[in-house]
Amino acid sequence: MLKIAVYGKGGIGKSTVTAHLSAAFARLGKKVIQIGCDPKADSTINLLNGETPVPVMNYLREHDRDPEHLEEISRVGFGGVLCIETGGPTPGLGCAGRGIVTTFSLLEDLKLFETRKPDVVLYDVLGDVVCGGFAAPIRENYASQILIVTSGEKMALYAAGNIHSAVKNFADRAYAKVRGIVFNRRNVENEEAKVRSFAESAGLPVIADIPRSNEIIRWEDQGKTVVEGDPDSDISRRFLELARSLLQDSGEEA
Amino acid sequence: MKNTARILSIYASDTSGVCSMLYELGGLVVVHDASGCNSTYSTHDEPRWYGQDSMIYISALTETDMIFGGDGKLIGDTLEAIRTLSPRFAVLCGSPMPMLTGTDFDAVAAEVEAKAGIPVLPLHTNGMRSYLSGASEALTALLGRFCSPETEAGRSGRIPVNILGATPLDFSRSEQIGSIRSILTSAGFEIVSVMAMGSNLEEIAGAGRARVNLVISSSGLAAAEYLRRKFGTPWVAGVPYGEKTSQALTRKLKESAESGENFPFCSDRIELDEGQSVLIVGESVNAGSLAKAAREDLGIPARAGIPDALQPVLAAPHDRILTDEDDAALAFAESSGVAADPLFAPVCPESIPFYRLPHEAFSGRCFRERIPNLMGGGLTRRLFESC
Repeated sequence: MLKIAVYGKGGIGKSTVTAHLSAAFARLGKKVIQIGCDPKADSTINLLNGETPVPVMNYLREHDRDPEHLEEISRVGFGGVLCIETGGPTPGLGCAGRGIVTTFSLLEDLKLFETRKPDVVLYDVLGDVVCGGFAAPIRENYASQILIVTSGEKMALYAAGNIHSAVKNFADRAYAKVRGIVFNRRNVENEEAKVRSFAESAGLPVIADIPRSNEIIRWEDQGKTVVEGDPDSDISRRFLELARSLLQDSGEEA
Repeated sequence: MKNTARILSIYASDTSGVCSMLYELGGLVVVHDASGCNSTYSTHDEPRWYGQDSMIYISALTETDMIFGGDGKLIGDTLEAIRTLSPRFAVLCGSPMPMLTGTDFDAVAAEVEAKAGIPVLPLHTNGMRSYLSGASEALTALLGRFCSPETEAGRSGRIPVNILGATPLDFSRSEQIGSIRSILTSAGFEIVSVMAMGSNLEEIAGAGRARVNLVISSSGLAAAEYLRRKFGTPWVAGVPYGEKTSQALTRKLKESAESGENFPFCSDRIELDEGQSVLIVGESVNAGSLAKAAREDLGIPARAGIPDALQPVLAAPHDRILTDEDDAALAFAESSGVAADPLFAPVCPESIPFYRLPHEAFSGRCFRERIPNLMGGGLTRRLFESC
């Protein structure tokens, strides 16, 4: 099973990258689960034609008890991708990190992996590793690889550096390791040079280069990924290539 | 109100269960919790505290540790304690605050073990679950790490047996365990180990020698299942209360040793009519065994009232699950009598006879001196004379 956590600065395109990757893995015939770990609960919206599953936190708030069946907190999206959102507390209240820990514990109780037997699991995580809860997806038995999404913007690179440092703090533990950088272009000046320079100094490979494209926006307006809407496009090809290379690295058949 | 205790006490927590199960085994128990909490886990409900040493260490968690994670301090302090005290092993367990911030005990334990060179086991307590779940996880983790592959049965001619699920939270008086040992020995058994009162780590590590395991509280069932998977050893769940019932229990143990079949003796009881029975409140194997002895030795119809349903196999269909005090009050009012810890008395109607059955896991040391030893023949009647 290939388990990947996607991190990066808020607004940098993590959910876009994650959903496109999920769709690409699904196009390659893989059984995929995507878990959105962001209180905004919109990670899977473009796999579900603009809708979302009931976020786990919303379910708990409404019912005041744990769900008994996976179907109560999940929906099946494009290509059979099982979509789950942790959701979170009302902004400004409670503890969103704790929400992630609770969700993971609940998914364990519901035997998510044992019953669904996925080939690929993707965790789309809120902007930065701000507390223990947001590191939960990279613990042993969860993700084994991390993708950091960044553009050439200064603050995106700064956040990418912070995430990389946070992961290095766990070097003594059997936590996920950073697999590489997904370069999500914003067309800022000298963007490629800045990202390549950061990657080199951090000792990380740039494993995908996604051009800025109105195509993504157009398909997302329809609640879809480009991989679903136009699988032959250049954008789709790049995500399919990334999915293939991640599968090959992990010994899975692409 | 569901899950609310306005009048009643609550049972000891999972962390108490860990401390109690591992108390005598030469390990260091580290509880990641605020300073002062040692009394809660190991003094108020631990009769061995003043007479027997044990290494219980509280990490003295502070608000600052919560903000900054505190893993580094926990690791450093645990390593220091291991260096100073030289325990055989260590366990790390949590409390409500680390649960909220999601401390990764698996990773912390692996780090400590790599640096300390002794087995360090993570236990996933949060201070919110029953003592039975903590004791159960502690015992199973211990066996998983220390159980020897040795299965040689010996040549004594006796049937080797382990006794699983013994802690003072359910067997506060050491005479109770002495009586169980004596009943089994008289019936032709050889006691391999008692987990975990009066046996050392080597005896427990040799548990694979047993041909049958006796589970005397639900905290021993997961360990019995582990031994079943590892060695194929069957288990019988029951406590030898009452003369006839004790004899039936030892017969069942012998049958299981021969047949290899598990048997939940404590829940193998005759169906009762509602309202015609005494409700015996307590841990499921104990309360179920006492209900069985009341019926089969004394002719008193009885059912068990158990505080949780962690192990459904240990409860009979007519037993009552008492998850909160509203359930308890309702069940008491529908019974012909109630045998329970004295702290349950305030929710028992005055018209219903109440028999005092102090339980360390519920009232701690409050009534310790009055906890009866009801094992074996003739003793069960004492309970029903205490009204």
